[in-house]
Amino acid sequence: MNLSDFLVVSALLFMIGAYGAFTRKNAIAVILSIELMLNAANLNFLSFWRFLHPSSMEPQIFVLVGITLAAAEAAVGLAVILNIYRDFGTINVEDISLLKG
Amino acid sequence: MNSIDSHLPFLIMSALTLGSALVVVRVRNIVHAGFWLLPCFLGVAGLYALLQAHFFVVVQVLIYVGAILVLMLFALMLTQDVMNPNKPQTNRMSLPIGLFCVVFAAGVAAILTGHQWMNSRDVILPANVQTRQLGQALIGEYALPFEIASVLLLAALVGAIVLAKSEKEPAPLPLPSLEALPDSKPE
Repeated sequence: MNLSDFLVVSALLFMIGAYGAFTRKNAIAVILSIELMLNAANLNFLSFWRFLHPSSMEPQIFVLVGITLAAAEAAVGLAVILNIYRDFGTINVEDISLLKG
Repeated sequence: MNSIDSHLPFLIMSALTLGSALVVVRVRNIVHAGFWLLPCFLGVAGLYALLQAHFFVVVQVLIYVGAILVLMLFALMLTQDVMNPNKPQTNRMSLPIGLFCVVFAAGVAAILTGHQWMNSRDVILPANVQTRQLGQALIGEYALPFEIASVLLLAALVGAIVLAKSEKEPAPLPLPSLEALPDSKPE
């Protein structure tokens, strides 16, 4: 198994996440799909680290910051969605069109 | 060359990750989608283990499975009544976007497999040395990104609490004794 195999898995995971983020109606399902994409990015970083630069530290720092970002994004995103649910009574992203021109 | 010789574990972990990710984006019941995220995250942890990133296997299970997934399921169960699982859960652009994603993924996969990657010949350090180096880098050379990440987490924590806090006073719960007395009901 070489670098390209891991990168292909990561690319497929990212595209599955992108598909979910673009097509899902439920706002929380959109956040689930974004988590899939962030996982794909972390997998990419660690694959490059393992095969190209196993002695350098930077990729691992990047992954650590990426996981932190994912946690922050999930917390704030879910708080926003709970607020929307309280105000609109729905979390269907097609019904939340207050800013639509 | 530093390639990984174990083919079967890689195939199992990839199939687990991608298969459950597909279920997550396609299944109609949103709570099931949340639960299908668990094998997906565990599969990614298995891929990290194959890559010998030992510290991140633990971090993946602790943060993603232990924290983020539980948070997601919590929010899913708070709001699950508003989406009827018998209706379609995807918008009408689902087919063209799916075709685009398949074509794009196939193109990226073709480019990635066609490229000749030069594997590094450096040795992969054992888990204890690797993790010690990461910890020393986090308090030494990379202290600034580490501190910025902690400030970001604090800001996200405060922001999430402020956003989720309701501005109105919660309505008082009706007491069961009041229903027995029709006179005391408000007009």
